[in-house]
Amino acid sequence: MNKKVLALGALTLASATVLAGCSAGGDASSSGAAGDGSLSIYAWAGEIPDSVISGFEEETGITVTVDTFDSNETMISKLAAGNSGYDVVEPSQYAVQLMVERDLVAPIDQSKLEGFDNLAEKFVDPSFDPGNEHSIPWAWGTTGILYNEACTGAPVTGWKDMWNPAYSGKVYMLDNMLSAYIAGLQVNGLSATTTDEADIETATDSLLEQKALLGGYNSTNYADLVGTGDACIAEAYSGTTSATAVENNPDVKYIIPEEGGTLWTDSFSIVKGTANEDAAYQWLNYTLRPEVAALVTDDASLASTNEAALPLVADQSQVENPAIYAPAESLQNSEFIVDPGDALAFFQDGWTRVRAS
Amino acid sequence: MDRLTSWIARAVFVFLYLPIAALIVYSFNSSEVSYRFDGFTFRWYAELFADRMLLEALRTSAVVGLIAALLATVIGFLTAFALVRFRVKGRAFFVGAILIPLIVPEIVLGVSLLTVFSTAGIPTGLLTLVLGHVVITLPLATLVLMGAMSSLDPSLSEAATDLGASPWVTFRRVLFPLLRPSILAAFLLSFTTSFSNIVISTFTAGVGTTTLPLRIYSTLRTGLTPELNALGTLLVVATLGVILAVGVSQMRRILAGPTTTP
Repeated sequence: MNKKVLALGALTLASATVLAGCSAGGDASSSGAAGDGSLSIYAWAGEIPDSVISGFEEETGITVTVDTFDSNETMISKLAAGNSGYDVVEPSQYAVQLMVERDLVAPIDQSKLEGFDNLAEKFVDPSFDPGNEHSIPWAWGTTGILYNEACTGAPVTGWKDMWNPAYSGKVYMLDNMLSAYIAGLQVNGLSATTTDEADIETATDSLLEQKALLGGYNSTNYADLVGTGDACIAEAYSGTTSATAVENNPDVKYIIPEEGGTLWTDSFSIVKGTANEDAAYQWLNYTLRPEVAALVTDDASLASTNEAALPLVADQSQVENPAIYAPAESLQNSEFIVDPGDALAFFQDGWTRVRAS
Repeated sequence: MDRLTSWIARAVFVFLYLPIAALIVYSFNSSEVSYRFDGFTFRWYAELFADRMLLEALRTSAVVGLIAALLATVIGFLTAFALVRFRVKGRAFFVGAILIPLIVPEIVLGVSLLTVFSTAGIPTGLLTLVLGHVVITLPLATLVLMGAMSSLDPSLSEAATDLGASPWVTFRRVLFPLLRPSILAAFLLSFTTSFSNIVISTFTAGVGTTTLPLRIYSTLRTGLTPELNALGTLLVVATLGVILAVGVSQMRRILAGPTTTP
């Protein structure tokens, strides 16, 4: 009898604890719901400086919560599950397409925007989002080559150098399918945004051939590897990491390959069905101001999409650093990497073969 | 042969602790790049304490870890107690069911949890994060406590009952003191597991509940900064502090003998 009572007591206590935990957690997580002067942003880490957030909070009185994700795919899957609670997200260009397709982001009412014309020309009406209907670009960069001249012995000019047997074992590629294919396609004179099966096949063959020369696929510390000379040449993203490497070692250089360039940009989009639409528009307008946009370069070493912000950047050497702002002439043929759509299957098939070889 | 084993043991020890030593040394490196040591600085600690998002993530991880570990320990204790002490119907089934979260890949658990939460209309946040962490820490806590309880001599509590102690007094004066080290172990193990979890957290975190591992993992694209070395150093120091405190209190208990004053 006593044992039964104890077991029952144990069960009651267990369920009571769970319920208590629930209600405590429930209170905390429900703060920040429907239009109560708060804004929840889901963004790339390191792309929205603290200075921008606190400036916005001070001016508007809106409390901002910023959470960060590790990939577009994580962000999309959380939004697609519903109930994410985010008001503004920061997808990359191809992710904007995927999110529009899946109806996850709301159309932007251009009449509510102020300062849209501050944006640089290449971010107005971009290929991945005609008319900026669903996205306002915030930060941008390029996919290029980071190399150590002490190691290569001569200036590097393009993707073809990443196939140079002289650097065997000291060549690194980004550990990312679409990024690797930029090199594979452009080295063959093909468009980086092709969806043609034969083109992709050609690129796959080049990447297979290159694999013998590779030191590895690396998306995290390639800049350190190039800095030490453990890597002579690496496919790299411009921005914070590459800029630090270039600043710290005069032999390290960042270039846009002569075969053509590619751009990436991370934009702000408003989540469909948000309860804080007004706050979201205030955020867009705040970040479109030149003096605010300049902070992304000052405090995060990233290129701003805001043309009017460039003269306001405190350290003008950052604007002249090609590892942050690619020179205009090298971007003439550059395109945004967009969602390959059905051709994704060709890429995945080829990439599997490359990685498995 | 003995010499060889001892050298291997030493080499393994160095291999285990070298990265931690490097982390601590580089947290004082004034250079921004990790391959060059330029001189001594506290700059990264200053930046760490100014980094609002990182501190917020640290706080989230600590809060979630504490709540989840507490829940896991309490529920785990009760579960272990029931399974070890009573002839519960379907005991084997329960024991097996408790072990399943340890075997199922975390990504599967994470996706299923997210599906359940979104179907039930529960917004992801602190609540779902804690629930997710309880799912993975509960089996650990239960296992630790079941082991401790089965090795406990049942005649001790029988003797207490014989001497007129009520079940509650038996629990408070006999069982709990004897199980205290295991309860602490279960709690600390649950806390560390929760604190370092990435996969489950990815799916169950919501607005304002980015945990520390998620935050660090998400900085990979724009590059890790020496600030993270400073954070790592502080965590190592904090862990050592906990270990020392636990160790000292255990030593005291052992030295003082088995007195169980309430």
